[in-house]
Amino acid sequence: MIATIRSFIIPVGSVIFASLIGGIVLFLSGSDPIEAYAALLKGAFGSMTSITRTLVKATPLMMNGLAVAFAFKAGLFNIGTQGQFIFGAFAASVAGFFIQGVPPVFHIFLALIAGGIAGGVYGAFQGALKAYSGAHEVITGIMCNYIAINITDYLVNHPFRDTSPGNIVARTPLILETSYLPDIEGIPGGFLISLLSAVLVWWVLKHMVLGFEINTVGAGPDAARYSGMRVQRILLITMLISGTLAGLGGALEIQGVEHRFQPGFHTGLGFEGITIALLGRVHPFGIIPASVLIGAMKAGANMMQFSAGVESEIIDIIQALLLFFVTAEVFFKKMIPGMRWQKGEKLSLRAGWGGKV
Amino acid sequence: MHERTFRIIWIAITGFMIVFSPAENHAGCGEKTKFCIGLVTDVGVIDDKSFNQSSWEGVQQAKAELGAAIKYIETRDAKDYEQNIELFAENNYNVIVTVGFALGEATIRAAKKYQKIHFIGIDQFQGKPVKNLVGLVFREDIAGFKAGALAAMLSKTNIIAAVLATDMVPPVAAFNRGYEAGSRYINPDIKIISTFHPGGLDISFTDPEWGASTAGQAIDQGADVIFSAGGLTGNGGLIETATHKGKYCIGVDTDQWDTVPAARACLVSCAMKRISPSVIKLIKLAYKNQFPEGNYYGEVSLSSFHDFEGKIPQRIKNRLLEIDNNIQSGKIKIPDYE
Repeated sequence: MIATIRSFIIPVGSVIFASLIGGIVLFLSGSDPIEAYAALLKGAFGSMTSITRTLVKATPLMMNGLAVAFAFKAGLFNIGTQGQFIFGAFAASVAGFFIQGVPPVFHIFLALIAGGIAGGVYGAFQGALKAYSGAHEVITGIMCNYIAINITDYLVNHPFRDTSPGNIVARTPLILETSYLPDIEGIPGGFLISLLSAVLVWWVLKHMVLGFEINTVGAGPDAARYSGMRVQRILLITMLISGTLAGLGGALEIQGVEHRFQPGFHTGLGFEGITIALLGRVHPFGIIPASVLIGAMKAGANMMQFSAGVESEIIDIIQALLLFFVTAEVFFKKMIPGMRWQKGEKLSLRAGWGGKV
Repeated sequence: MHERTFRIIWIAITGFMIVFSPAENHAGCGEKTKFCIGLVTDVGVIDDKSFNQSSWEGVQQAKAELGAAIKYIETRDAKDYEQNIELFAENNYNVIVTVGFALGEATIRAAKKYQKIHFIGIDQFQGKPVKNLVGLVFREDIAGFKAGALAAMLSKTNIIAAVLATDMVPPVAAFNRGYEAGSRYINPDIKIISTFHPGGLDISFTDPEWGASTAGQAIDQGADVIFSAGGLTGNGGLIETATHKGKYCIGVDTDQWDTVPAARACLVSCAMKRISPSVIKLIKLAYKNQFPEGNYYGEVSLSSFHDFEGKIPQRIKNRLLEIDNNIQSGKIKIPDYE
């Protein structure tokens, strides 16, 4: 229990410190920090529609955060989530407008599965490169992101281009309404699916043999190999699942929000998964509040600009500060009295990526 | 962990919550005496030295001339276009300016929903006119034609180049078609090296390194006039050209003499879309309740030559004037715009 509370301190403390420093920056730039933060909160949680918007923004962040965190557990840094996310989104939108005449609920799942498979296969490809040729996943991930962006740019500009009259930009046709994700009691369906994914990820890591193997590989591949685990296969499966999560995130974004694939809609969402994963302490249940928090900042930024007249870049500053504090835990050890670490509790970036759930 | 520490943090959080109770400070728009103008940018900053900025300058001029209340929102995520427009619409703004063709669909939806508000969509071609929405558009092919004619007359090597953002964006492609047509109008045998950015919408306007290296390559191949069009990518091409002695560059959209000082060494002119004067004109029409619908074609022209004013022979200037007149009278036909 104590350990659980303790694991909250760093993220919560980071949020507080980042907001305080953000407030100072706001003050120095001539705005009223209290008014600005009030507008931010109002834009994020002030009404049912703004709460919905916050959850909508949190959904892709959560999926990408889960994808990054899952790979961290096996000691892999999946920076290719961006590309997996894009392929997932593209596959879902193709499934969304190509498949016709199936019942609504069935169509939703077909498109989701298409997105998951596309992201998963692409992730597994990067996993295979890592496992069987030793190519570093960060390098291949970054390159695969470019490949994904450019292939989809080509596909939407040529074979899958929206040919409806009046359209002058590169994008796919709208997906059919039978594949739209519904809101359930005002809560976006995509958000519910991402919550479910978080629980599934937790369950796999905590209760399945595969999860144990992944954790072991993350903690020490050599030890894992020595104890008879097939490390290469585990790396491959990890990247397959991680890519599936990111691809599913892309599908949720298409079916829940965008309803068509358009190049450039995805700017940076994959990379923000890294922020989310770290802020959530690489734990599925930490990632849920982390993504809601960042989602709220994104949703509230407009209101902050509108009613408090604050430059939107302040959100970037707060996010950067957040990441800084989350990773710089030494700071907290010094600042907060009584914070002493027990052995093994620390999240250092190397051990932490493969740490225990 | 020490209970005291936990308590301190807890108090801090509750303190935050209390202090942050929502405040309303936005009122006055929608009343008869007040004229409010809101502007929603495309993804990017207001002082982008390009569309956002020139549109905002038009709005600021409206403030000076009409005493309007003005405000802008910078869009951070393409998914927020609609929401940002609504922030103004729900607060009864009289005119909402949306900048960039990417906001086209969101603007049409908003215009249909809020029929009392006048919408100005910059760079948004209107296929089916909506009563309270006007698209401020420009003939990029004409602007490009003038730039091409100037480039062909300035070139000594008879090789000129264009460094462009992605051809997925129709105005960029139109600039290039006009540029090629204009330079061939002067010299049918001229060699034109046109290069589009290979990336998509997410990168092709924000890649100055690519712009610079592409301009450099064109110069290596003998080009001595570079037309550089496409946001920051284009700016990269201009700045690179400025480092090569004796080469000329032509900018785009705004007078980049002011916005990209690093390119002054080569910047002979810019193919300008006169956004600010058109914006203020449309706002005034809205103010007088004479708002047009459909498309409003803003003026395109070459900017002044600045430092090159004395270096450009009168013969070239005369020829450019002649081309201007011939385009206006229809003697020169510039065929395309979809």
